[in-house]
Amino acid sequence: MNEKTLIGKIEILRQIRPRKNWVILTKKRILGEERTLPGLFLDSFRVFQGLFFQYKLALASLVLLFILGGTFAFAQKSLPGEPLFIVKKMTEKTRAVFISEEEKPKAQLELANRRLEDLAKIAEKNDVRKLAPAIDEFQANVSEAAKNLAKAKTVGKDIVVQTQELEKNKEKIEKTLATQIGTEELENVYKDLAEQQIKDLENSSLTESQTKLLAQAKEYFEAGDYSNALIKTIEASQTK
Amino acid sequence: MNLRKEFSKIYDKYIDKIYRFVFLKVNSPEVAEDLTSETFLKGWVAFREQNSDPKNQNHIDNPPAFLYQIARNLVVDYYREKGKTQIVPAEDYRIIDPRINLEERANLNSDFEGVRRALNNLKEDYQDVIIYRYLDELSVPEIAKIVQKSEDAVRVSLHRALKSLKNELNLD
Repeated sequence: MNEKTLIGKIEILRQIRPRKNWVILTKKRILGEERTLPGLFLDSFRVFQGLFFQYKLALASLVLLFILGGTFAFAQKSLPGEPLFIVKKMTEKTRAVFISEEEKPKAQLELANRRLEDLAKIAEKNDVRKLAPAIDEFQANVSEAAKNLAKAKTVGKDIVVQTQELEKNKEKIEKTLATQIGTEELENVYKDLAEQQIKDLENSSLTESQTKLLAQAKEYFEAGDYSNALIKTIEASQTK
Repeated sequence: MNLRKEFSKIYDKYIDKIYRFVFLKVNSPEVAEDLTSETFLKGWVAFREQNSDPKNQNHIDNPPAFLYQIARNLVVDYYREKGKTQIVPAEDYRIIDPRINLEERANLNSDFEGVRRALNNLKEDYQDVIIYRYLDELSVPEIAKIVQKSEDAVRVSLHRALKSLKNELNLD
């Protein structure tokens, strides 16, 4: 028997192999045992740590949400010249994005009225430092309202209501502050609109009450009170 | 690499070899399973303890040598405690290759049992080098590391082991 044949016979013993199931189970038992002692503790700790982290994340989000919510709520009560007023303005601008072009003149007048309310509060408190920014804010809103109103094809009753309110509030504040608050841009728009409305009414056949209202509108117009002139023309066009 | 993953690879690579090594010495599948699992359990405990700290001087750099050493010690302990040798029936490892006809299969089964018995009759050192070299396909330098002898001494041992086995088989 040569060496090669002998080695060939030895190699027959390679058939000796462990059972596959035993190999898998033994590996699991040996390398898995660690998990039952410190490994299990470590895994539990990791799970707890994960949950705690998630809890912390949720808590942080909740706190952030409360802070943001609180900031927005407080900002709505803020006045021009205060740090949170910028948040209030941002909120108003965001809302304005979703308003249609037709609704914009009315919305801008509403905003101008709110600025007048702010101005009234400042005037009541005699908070001189906030007076200038409040007047600036009001004028900026009036300017924006004037632009939107100039673009408007029709002027509705809601515009009249807002205009009346704006005039009333403005007069009150002017009395309190003993000063005139310039709203020239809006006045010019009112003038143009009133002029156009008067011409339209003059070229139309009017009822008795409409004729009376047109006469009043003309009087206001001649006196330079264009907002009231506009109001009377709108009332005349809506009266039968 | 993670120690557990590292040892998992060692387990996959050497489980068959260590089992065969133990089986050829104890001649019992059950005892071979017990001693092999104990070998890997002890191996894992030591591997984890000694290799977890990189500064440790007793790092296990040659896992197969370490495992064969544990297995050899366990076999020695087994015989010391039990004081007996169990002979496994040849049917446990019958050749079942369907491509081989019955006569050839009978011859191979006869060869298997003959070689196994012949190997069992060799002295311990000869058994080991034959298993390492021709069954586990370890190189001479690898065997030298395991048995802690020079490569020349391993070559001499291998030559003498084959000669002894040849004699044993001729006697059969």
